Amino acid sequence: MAAAVSIQGLTKKYLDVWNKAEIVAVDHLNLEVQEGEIFGFLGRNGAGKTTTIKMLLGLIFPTEGAATVLGKPLGDIEAKSQVSYLPEEAYFYETMTGWDILDFYARLFRISEPDRSRRVQKALEDVYLDPKAWRRPLRGYSKGMRQRIGIAQALINDPKLLFLDEPTSGLDPIARAELRDVIGNVGKQGKTVFLSSHQLSDVELLCDRVSIIHNGKLLALGRITDLTAGEQVEIHAEGITNGAVDKIRGLVPEVLQTDGRLRIPAAEPGKVASVIDLVRGAKGTVTAIIPHRRSLEDVFVQTVRKAGGDVSVADLKGGEE
Amino acid sequence: MVTMAIAKQTLEDMLRRKILLILLIVAVGMIALGPSVGFLSPRESSVVLKSLGLAVILIAGLLITILAGIQVIPTEIERRTIYTVLSKPVQRFEFVLGKFLGGLATVFVMIAAMGIVFLGVIYWQQHNLPREMVTGVAMTFFQMMLLGAMAIFFSTFATPVVNFFLTFAIFMVGNMSSVTESLTSNKNPATKLLATVLHYILPNFGNFNIQNKLIHPEQTLSNPSVFIFQNIVYAIIYSAILLLLAILVFDRREV
Repeated sequence: MAAAVSIQGLTKKYLDVWNKAEIVAVDHLNLEVQEGEIFGFLGRNGAGKTTTIKMLLGLIFPTEGAATVLGKPLGDIEAKSQVSYLPEEAYFYETMTGWDILDFYARLFRISEPDRSRRVQKALEDVYLDPKAWRRPLRGYSKGMRQRIGIAQALINDPKLLFLDEPTSGLDPIARAELRDVIGNVGKQGKTVFLSSHQLSDVELLCDRVSIIHNGKLLALGRITDLTAGEQVEIHAEGITNGAVDKIRGLVPEVLQTDGRLRIPAAEPGKVASVIDLVRGAKGTVTAIIPHRRSLEDVFVQTVRKAGGDVSVADLKGGEE
Repeated sequence: MVTMAIAKQTLEDMLRRKILLILLIVAVGMIALGPSVGFLSPRESSVVLKSLGLAVILIAGLLITILAGIQVIPTEIERRTIYTVLSKPVQRFEFVLGKFLGGLATVFVMIAAMGIVFLGVIYWQQHNLPREMVTGVAMTFFQMMLLGAMAIFFSTFATPVVNFFLTFAIFMVGNMSSVTESLTSNKNPATKLLATVLHYILPNFGNFNIQNKLIHPEQTLSNPSVFIFQNIVYAIIYSAILLLLAILVFDRREV
C-alpha cells in the first residue's frame, strides 16, 4: 500500500523577535500515513499538530525536512485537487448560504455545472444538514451546523485524503456522534483521513493507527491495539496490617488505602499473584480482582508525562492550539 | 474560473459591509442635495453642482477604495477563511488577482451608483448630459483602480492600520506631483533627491484630477482623448506592476 502522507525530518522553527529566541514548533518529524487508513494525530495544545498540517497543505513552509502528499511535493496543485481540509474552529463567509458556500468551494476545484450542483447537494445530504437550512445564511447556523458545512466542504471534491483538525471539538454529544459516523463512513469509502483530535474516545473508535507528538517531537506511533496492549488489574483487599501495606507498596507504589480497604491500581499482571500472597500472608481478605484494559487516554497521558509534559483536563477535552 | 469565483465572492462580501454602504448612502445623499447648495451662488450654480458632485465622488471613492483595499486580504487571514481557500487547488496569484478584481468591482459598483445619481441630478437641473462629467467620473474610477492596487500590495505585508496611513499618504503625495516636480530642481541635494524619488516612483494621481478642466470650459485640454487614454493606460500598467509585486510577496507569505 502506498503512503498517502510521507514526512521526513519535517521541522518548523519560528523566531521570537522580542526574546530573540528560536521556537521549534515541529522538530524533525518522521511519519508515514498509508492510503485508506484513518490516522489519529494526537498531542497537547501547542504540540505542533496544526503547524504540521499547515505545512502539509502548503499554507506555511518547513524550515527543514521534506514531505510528500499523495506522492507529490508540498503545495503541489495536482495533489491539492485530491485533498481537503477542515481547519480547527473553521470560519466561513457568514453572509453566504450553506448552498452558496459549497458552490464557491466547488468552483475552486474547477468543477463545472451540472456536476457542481449535484456534488453540492450530495455533500449537504452526506453530512445530514437539514434541507431547510441549505438556503439560509451561515450567520444563523448553530456550531454543529457550521461544522457540518465544514465537513461538507471537505467532501465536495470527493477527496482521496482528508485533513481534519479537531472536527468534533465543542459539539454536543449527539452532533459529535453524528459527525463521528460521517467520518467513519468516509473511512469505509477507502479515503485516507488524517485526524487531529483531543477527543480521544472518538480517535479510539475511528482510527486504525495513531501518533502522539509532544513539543513537536514524535513520541509514539502504532496501531491502537498495540499501544493499548497489556491489561491492568485493580485488587481490592481489607483487614490487613500497616506493615503488610508497606510491603505491598514496595512492590506496587500506587497503593491507595481508605477505610481499612486497599486498592492497588495499575498493577502489572505479573505482580498480581505476589500482591495476593502478601495480602493473604497478612491475614487480609481479597474482596475483588478487577481487570482493566488500558485506554488510549492512559497511553496518551503516560506517554506525554514520561516526556516531561504535564497533561491538563483541557488537553483531553479540546481547546486552541 | 478560480480567479473569477474569488472575485465574485469578494464583491458579494464587500457589498454587505455596513461601513461601505454607509459611505455610499452619505455620498449619494450629498450629491442629491447638490442643487440646494447651488442656491448659495446662483450665478455659479452649475459649477458648484459639478464641483461638489465630482468632489464627493472622489472623496467617497477614496475612502471606499482604501477601506476595501486594506481589508480584503487581512480579513481572510484574520477570519481564517483563507485556510479553506488556499488549501484547495488555488494558486496564490489567483487568490491575489481574485481579491483585487473583487475589490475593484466593488469600487466600480459604488462609483457607478454615485455617478448615476450625479449625472441624473445634472440632467434634472440642466436638461442635458455633458460628456465631460461622464469622463470625470470614469477618471475617478481609474484613479481608484491604481490606489486599490497600491492598497492590495501593502496588504500583503503590512497591517491594515499601517496600510491605511501608507496608502492615504501616497495618495496625498501623488496628488502633489507639480510640487514634487518643482522640488526636483531644488538646490538642497537631500531635498532634490527625495523629491526626485517621490516624483518618479510614486504614482502620479494628480494627472487624474481633470475636474477643473472639465468644469471650467475656458480651461481646455489640448487633446482630451489622448490625455485620457494615456492616463488610463498609465493606471493599468502601474496597477499591473503593483499586483505583480503583491503576488511575489504573497507567494512566500505564511498564512
